[in-house]
Amino acid sequence: MAKILDGQRYKCSLAAMQSVQAIPGAIPVLHSGPGCAAKLSDTIGSSGHYSPNIFPCTSLNEKDVVFGGTRKLRTTIENAMKVLDADLYIVLTGCIPEIVGDDSVSVVDEFREAGKPVILAETAGFRGNSYTGYEQVLDAITDQYLEPAPEGEREKGLVNIFADVPYQDLFWLGNYEQLAKLVSLLGLTPNVIFGYEGGTDRVRDIPKAEFNLLVSPWVGIEPMERMEKRLGIPFLHWPNLPVGAFETSKFLRALGEYAGVPSDKVESVIADQEGYYYYLIERYADLFLETRVMAKQFTVSADAQYSLALTKFLVNDLSLNPATQFVVDDTPKKYRESVAAEFSNLNHGIKAPVEFETDSWKISQAIRAHDYHGYPLVLGSYWEKEVTEEMYGHYLNISWPVQDKVVMDESYVGYQGGIKVIEDIYSVAVQRWN
Amino acid sequence: MSYLLAVASTDGSVIDTTFGAAQSFRIYEAEGTRFEFRGIREIPLEEGGGDAGSACGPGSGCGHGGGGGCGATSGKVEHLSDVRAILATKVGFQAQKQLEKKAISTFDLEADVDEALKKITAYYDRVDRHESLRGIR
Repeated sequence: MAKILDGQRYKCSLAAMQSVQAIPGAIPVLHSGPGCAAKLSDTIGSSGHYSPNIFPCTSLNEKDVVFGGTRKLRTTIENAMKVLDADLYIVLTGCIPEIVGDDSVSVVDEFREAGKPVILAETAGFRGNSYTGYEQVLDAITDQYLEPAPEGEREKGLVNIFADVPYQDLFWLGNYEQLAKLVSLLGLTPNVIFGYEGGTDRVRDIPKAEFNLLVSPWVGIEPMERMEKRLGIPFLHWPNLPVGAFETSKFLRALGEYAGVPSDKVESVIADQEGYYYYLIERYADLFLETRVMAKQFTVSADAQYSLALTKFLVNDLSLNPATQFVVDDTPKKYRESVAAEFSNLNHGIKAPVEFETDSWKISQAIRAHDYHGYPLVLGSYWEKEVTEEMYGHYLNISWPVQDKVVMDESYVGYQGGIKVIEDIYSVAVQRWN
Repeated sequence: MSYLLAVASTDGSVIDTTFGAAQSFRIYEAEGTRFEFRGIREIPLEEGGGDAGSACGPGSGCGHGGGGGCGATSGKVEHLSDVRAILATKVGFQAQKQLEKKAISTFDLEADVDEALKKITAYYDRVDRHESLRGIR
């Protein structure tokens, strides 16, 4: 029986174009029908040197479907290289050419064999979603653009960082910047390919790294395994985005141990950071203790990354009680158990109930039906706003789709990130009762 | 259900003429994935056979979306109003618009006639039977 999906949580896998856009100097070339780029771009934060409005696209029509679009693809790539100043062209195939069977691989191979910086990711929309599309871009870079670093050219202490899915995650830019900062606090050298500090030079540096750091519950595991196999780069998988003192200190200790940083250095960094963090917490103890309108229970409805990160922060650092948490990113079945296990890995033996659900209607029903013992605190996507308002709850828009916030380089990662979460939540609470 | 296709080809082997220049079209009748040559349809000169470029310059004079005013093209279009699609090396903008109004598709390409007809009939066959286009190439 046909089902109506209420409230989408991600885009089709051609949204991989946003991951490419996040790498300065790289541009996606779409082999798809006209309009895909416009539909897949966000209204806030998508402009730039290469905005989706100028992505080269083969704009396939009926004639190309019947007679083949490979000639158009060839000329589109050739002409794109003439008029654009990108130094990496990532061809993304959409639904149409993959269904009818265009041989895009051969076309792109022609360019690669001629030494041109053109690679291909087969990201037809129906194959997956924003998360799998991002993984496919990383895989394409690993397989087609990078070679293992020659003996003796690996740089000690250089760490590639992979975490958020750019643009799908509202705070992607700030988060990458903060993760880089945490890594450098330990004396290591961060290498991030996305954002201001990123770029195609950083992509070419990937094989030189000592190891990869994957900070994510499940997105990116497969590309890391692929890089390990093909480029010989081992990886540390930290399954949680660190928000606030508890998690960030844990993260730094694990990272320090893996990278062989002397533990007294790690502890001194932690003591330093925690010193300032708890100075702020101390000064605002009256806010935490006296704000009677603060919720006692909370629900996070977001992708695995934020659902887990914020649950841990709110329980461990702020002592709130978890109601049911929702993971809305259609987590692949093979990772669900390990992700769910993390939700039970909280202080004081608290276990947060978690459900993997993509249907917003079901999520709203569940929130409505639950007794939050007061005002609920809901951190979710724009789809959760209505039900939260119905229940006079505190609402914060932190996952996609985001309509209620403009975020440029703000971040929830690390010690400062935890402070920012506190500021945002309590700002909502105090606004409502003044 | 069978339908007609018009091909602008002087020798029946390759599509080699533009829509505007064509003075005649080879008509094929197609059903399912089979097609058969039905004959050559001449376009009478006074109704627009010959170079439509002589009657009106590109997009000038009678304004866009031509309609009945532009004699040369619309005569030819009338003469082909029973076909489902037209194959030629090039189909001008004015002609395309007029054909669109009659729900006639145009395909502009240089190709072997038989190959092109095979591909079009395969495509229309699946579309008509509401079948997926998966792997059609």
